[in-house]
Parts: sequence; C-alpha cells; structure tokens
Amino acid sequence: MLVLLFILFGGLAIGCALAVVAQRNPLYSAISLVGVFISLACLYVMLAAPFIAAVQVIVYAGAIMVLVVFVIMLLNVEEEERGRRRLKFLVPMAVAMAAILIAEVAFILVTVQEFRVNPPAGVGLTHSIGTSLFTRYLLPFEITSILLLMAIVGAMTLARRGGLLSTSARVIPGVTTLPRSLVDPRATPDDLRPVEADSTDEAARLLGVTGLRDHSDRDE
Amino acid sequence: MEPQLSWYLALSAVLFTIGVTGVIIKRNVIAMFMCIELMLNAVNLTFVAFASFFQDVVGQLFVFIVMTVAAAEAAVGLGIIIAIFRNRESLDVDDASILKL
Repeated sequence: MLVLLFILFGGLAIGCALAVVAQRNPLYSAISLVGVFISLACLYVMLAAPFIAAVQVIVYAGAIMVLVVFVIMLLNVEEEERGRRRLKFLVPMAVAMAAILIAEVAFILVTVQEFRVNPPAGVGLTHSIGTSLFTRYLLPFEITSILLLMAIVGAMTLARRGGLLSTSARVIPGVTTLPRSLVDPRATPDDLRPVEADSTDEAARLLGVTGLRDHSDRDE
Repeated sequence: MEPQLSWYLALSAVLFTIGVTGVIIKRNVIAMFMCIELMLNAVNLTFVAFASFFQDVVGQLFVFIVMTVAAAEAAVGLGIIIAIFRNRESLDVDDASILKL
C-alpha cells in the first residue's frame, strides 16, 4: 500500500517537475511547481513528518508561490521564444546531466543499505520539533529570524521606485546646493525655484549658464 | 514491502537533477528562480527521509531553516527581478549579463 502511494506521489512529483522545466509560459511552470510541492508534502506525511508537510503546504505552496505568481502577473511575462538558442553546448551538457543522474541513482540504489529501525516514535510531531527548536537549537532559530528581517529590509529597498530619494525631489548631481540667484544674475532674487535635471550639463543648459562644471569641481 | 530509504534518495536525486537542468536551459529569470526552488525541495526531501529513517529530529529542523532561507530568497530575488525588469524591460538573463542596472 505504501509502495503504491510512494509510486503515485513520486511519479506525480517527477512529472510536475518535468512540466516546470518543459513549459514555456512561466505561469504554467508555477502551477506545476505547486503540484511538486503538494506531492512532496504527501511524501512527508508518509515519512511521519506531519509538521513539515503542513509547513510545506502553507509556506511553499501558499506564500512563496503566491509571491511568484504575483510577480509573473505584475511583469506581464511573455512566453519564451522558440529557437533562440545562443549557447550551443547546452545539449551536450544536458546529456552529461542525464548521465550524472543515472550514475547517482544507480549508486544510491546499490550502496545505501536497507534498514528500518523502529516504528515512528513521535519524531516528526510539532511537540518534538518545537522542543528542540527552542532549547538546543535556539541560536539557529534566532539567526533565521535576523535573516528574515534582513530580507524584508532588502526587498523593500530593492523594490521601491526611484531609489532612496523620492521622485518629487529636485536634485542636481555634482552640486550640493545651487540657488538660482547665485548662478543666474538675470533671475530675480525671489525666484528660487529649483530646476530638475539628470546631469550637471543639463542643469547648466536649463539655467542658461556656462562654467557650471568648473564651479562644482572647484567646490569638491 | 515498504518504501526504502534508497527510493527516497533516488527520487530526490531525480528532482534535483531536473532542477539543475532547468537552471541551465531556461532563459527566463523567473523560470530559473522556480527551478532553484525545485532544487531546494529535493534537498528537503533528503533531509526528511534521513530524519525519518534515523529517528532524529535534527533533519526536520534543517528543513524548517531551509524553508525560511527559501522564503527570504524569494523576497529578495523577486525584488531584484522587478528592479531588473524596470531597467531592462526584459526578463531574459542574457539581457542582464552585466551586474549594473
């Protein structure tokens, strides 16, 4: 019975994994990847690890894949174009990978000894995992939380639009402060409206002055 | 007859190799990202299989930590993907071959 379940879920995992690689539309790949996660969760239940199975479904199939699908839909990803292969050595490399895989599986099946010690004794339950996580392995747990905090800050920094300055800020690169009355003698003293430019030269052109770059170089 | 330890290890090896192949042959950066997740899951299966057959809880703790790292990787990686897409208007990895936005 367990053998049949192993074949069912193992085959499902391998089939979905192949679909992840074979699909050209990333959204279909994502759905296939959810299938891999679900069948792996079933295998975890067979291995007497119900907590890991639940976390697999909640975190992987729930949180991470929802994030990936959000990004796919946000970016409006087009399908990969067929026949645009630029790397010629990919096919031999795939053959080499298949050879490595076959050697790996043969090695495992030949050398790994079969043993089954005693029936499951509550190793995978939430109680035993929580006990060891908060006593003996507390330091890795805390390091993991710091890692998550760093990931949150990093993702926010990366994903915000326009860098660290807001898009409404008026900045002239290379010049710290540049009141218009200082550089343009024709401007009225109360006209202190800043200009928006992407470079020092562009700012000089907008302000109608020359020698602005020399000015800023001397200041630095 | 019950599923043996070597069966789980072989399944994990197959999944890991499929993931590696995907990383090699895919050009879409999001698809490569998903293949990396597949490789992480293959390793997780190895951990859980060993934890179950050795009756040791440490393997499952490792799986827990690997999942956390995968979540952090997903957040930062997708942020990087969005930043690349804003600058390049493309998700092809060959278009982002220089580490400069």
